[in-house]
Amino acid sequence: MVGNLLLGGGLTAALAAMIICLAQKIPSARTVKIIALVSAGFITTASLLLWILLFENDFSVEYVASYSSTTLPTIYKISAFWAGQQGSFLLWLMIHAIVGAVLTFRRTSAAALGIYFLMQSVLVFLVLAKSPFAEHSAQVYEGVGLNPLLQDFWMAIHPPIIFVGYALLAVPFALSLGNLLTEAASRSWLEEARKWTLAAWGFLGAGIFIGGYWAYKVLGWGGYWGWDPVENSSLVPWLLAAVLLHLINLARKKPAVLAQAHVAATFTYSLVIYGTFLTRSGILGDFSVHSFAGTSIGVTIALANALVLIGGLSIIFAKAKQLPQGELYKSYGESTFIILLGCLLLIFIATIVWIGMSMPLLTQIVGQAAAVDTDFYIKSTSPIALALAALMIYTFIKFGRSISLGGKIAHVGFLAMLVAIVISAQGETVTQELQTRQKILVTGHEIIYEGQVFKEDERQKFYVYNVDGEIVRALTKLRGNGEDAAREPAILKNFSGDIYIAPHAPQIDSVQELMLTKGLFAMDGELGYIFEDAHIDYDDNNKPIQATAAITITDGEISEVIHPTIIVTPDGGSSKAIEAFKGKRRVRLTGISGDLEKARLEILPTLDKLSEMPITATISTKPYIWLLWLSVTAICTGTMLAIRKR
Amino acid sequence: MRKIFLIVLLVGFVAYAGFNLAESVTPYVSIAEARASSNSVQVKGLLDKTFQPVQSGDKFNFSLQDEQTGETMRVIFDGMKPDQFDEAYHIVAIGKYAAADETFHAKKLLIKCPSKYEGQKPQV
Repeated sequence: MVGNLLLGGGLTAALAAMIICLAQKIPSARTVKIIALVSAGFITTASLLLWILLFENDFSVEYVASYSSTTLPTIYKISAFWAGQQGSFLLWLMIHAIVGAVLTFRRTSAAALGIYFLMQSVLVFLVLAKSPFAEHSAQVYEGVGLNPLLQDFWMAIHPPIIFVGYALLAVPFALSLGNLLTEAASRSWLEEARKWTLAAWGFLGAGIFIGGYWAYKVLGWGGYWGWDPVENSSLVPWLLAAVLLHLINLARKKPAVLAQAHVAATFTYSLVIYGTFLTRSGILGDFSVHSFAGTSIGVTIALANALVLIGGLSIIFAKAKQLPQGELYKSYGESTFIILLGCLLLIFIATIVWIGMSMPLLTQIVGQAAAVDTDFYIKSTSPIALALAALMIYTFIKFGRSISLGGKIAHVGFLAMLVAIVISAQGETVTQELQTRQKILVTGHEIIYEGQVFKEDERQKFYVYNVDGEIVRALTKLRGNGEDAAREPAILKNFSGDIYIAPHAPQIDSVQELMLTKGLFAMDGELGYIFEDAHIDYDDNNKPIQATAAITITDGEISEVIHPTIIVTPDGGSSKAIEAFKGKRRVRLTGISGDLEKARLEILPTLDKLSEMPITATISTKPYIWLLWLSVTAICTGTMLAIRKR
Repeated sequence: MRKIFLIVLLVGFVAYAGFNLAESVTPYVSIAEARASSNSVQVKGLLDKTFQPVQSGDKFNFSLQDEQTGETMRVIFDGMKPDQFDEAYHIVAIGKYAAADETFHAKKLLIKCPSKYEGQKPQV
């Protein structure tokens, strides 16, 4: 409630700033600064409030109950902020608002600020349309918790960096339209736009690369890129931002390129919003492995997208006559032509990715929904990427001297990245069952699987391998119930590349389920079980908190009473395996009937037994994959260096 | 001259992208339609509980059930049993139906879970 009020305050201030900036030719700079700061202040306070709610485990807020829990380590409560759609929009809005306040201190034209605050208002609308502060209809005492996959250092930095990139791309968009509205023929906005676009490109790129590294190193997806819609939706704006960057640079020397630069600014930002629409509206629910399913704000985002694209293009069209005309280039050998050709190739690649990721939507409109397989992207983009690489090498030889140091580093990085993508894909992949302590020779490497090692709290375990004499461990995070939740690969790094071992789910066929009836005796083959009693703890409002059973286990001579429990969570409940009979058994309560007459008990293999079980793993080699990490670091470093004034 | 260059480039690109697209597009169909088609398709369904899924080597076998008609179809997935398969409420299989062995050969599976988070749902 308070959160929504704060957002309302942020919206009011953003609208006020927009109206003042657009209505008055030369508004008082101080007033605009103050209003922008007020808007950013409200929005930042709302964000801080969400963090406080997360830290205080306030499960009356649905978002907190869905993405946090009392047992979630403090450090991950910070990143639980953007674990869901509502929170990640708020994060985006917060960064946008802070950048907006900074803009008012940097001699930005009033019209550009007006456009920027219009976008800020739209973003507040998007956050309010599905507010992270919405209250929970039911009273809950424990949150669902953060997906173990996301309880990770990279989760703390990957989304914020992506959203910094998204937020910064609004700046060249606003500068372009603001300039068109007031003095269309002027090129004064280009220097400022160049800096912000470089920063945006660097951040968005860094975010994409970190996401790729995360997928490779931690998530065990077997690779760094899967052409998933969520990945593609950030790749397309990144490619177009590269086009925008080059057109801005060209337009500073060649007035005739100005029109193209304006069009690129509008398209780049509208594709940021489009990507959000595609991945967050739920229409891709059946096509993406990322789990943003079924949300109702699709229409709102679609309207925002239409506003940016149609609004931007209309302004460009209306002012087209005032834009400088003239020849773009005189000969095909000229650098202008070559850069424009390079831009065209980037647009081709972006178009292919756009078509691929939009197929489910486009085909739904015409009739039968369809998607493309990932081969489409690889097959279609690789010849274009090859042509682009050739063009870049040619440009380097011919015009290399006129490129700045940062530009050189970034371009060499980009070329090296293309090379690394090809080389690292030339490895071998083998899927095979591994027996413990049995030496096998795979992909030219000696691998011994040493078994699983469990951590004491049973929330983590390691698959241990000996690869060519070196021990590598693969972390697997476990759910509360002891099942694998997030399985990281084991990676042995070498100069010649990585040896990448991704374990698959162990085939536990020895889980036995016992249906127990109160007072009756049941056997698991060796031991006997008697379900003695059960009770449910209720809160003051008569809502169940947890269910506890009393079960006697006996081998005929010794008996032991155990008390397994199920804790009620918003999506049902969770229960933990407990050791019984001096470590001879591990059992877990998985259900109790409403009348407390029946209980369901899982008999799990003991940890000793588990750690000795054979597993199946996919072993692959990734030749010279370090070149990829090095090259993308060079891209980002070079980009940031290039921001300095030339 | 300049315009011709651009037009040739654009037409070439459109033709090239269009050709690739036509080759790799996989429509989203029901089980009955998947059986009738010899092309690559995507089928969405529920797990058919009457058939116990088995992993044999690097092939994973299960049976898919159409949500509307209840029709079932055997599926062989070229890979390991995906994580969270047991908790799936929807499975999307991408591949081709082979009339020879009356089985759908899936190259890829997408698993849709009610929740990817903690624990199983007990009946309290």
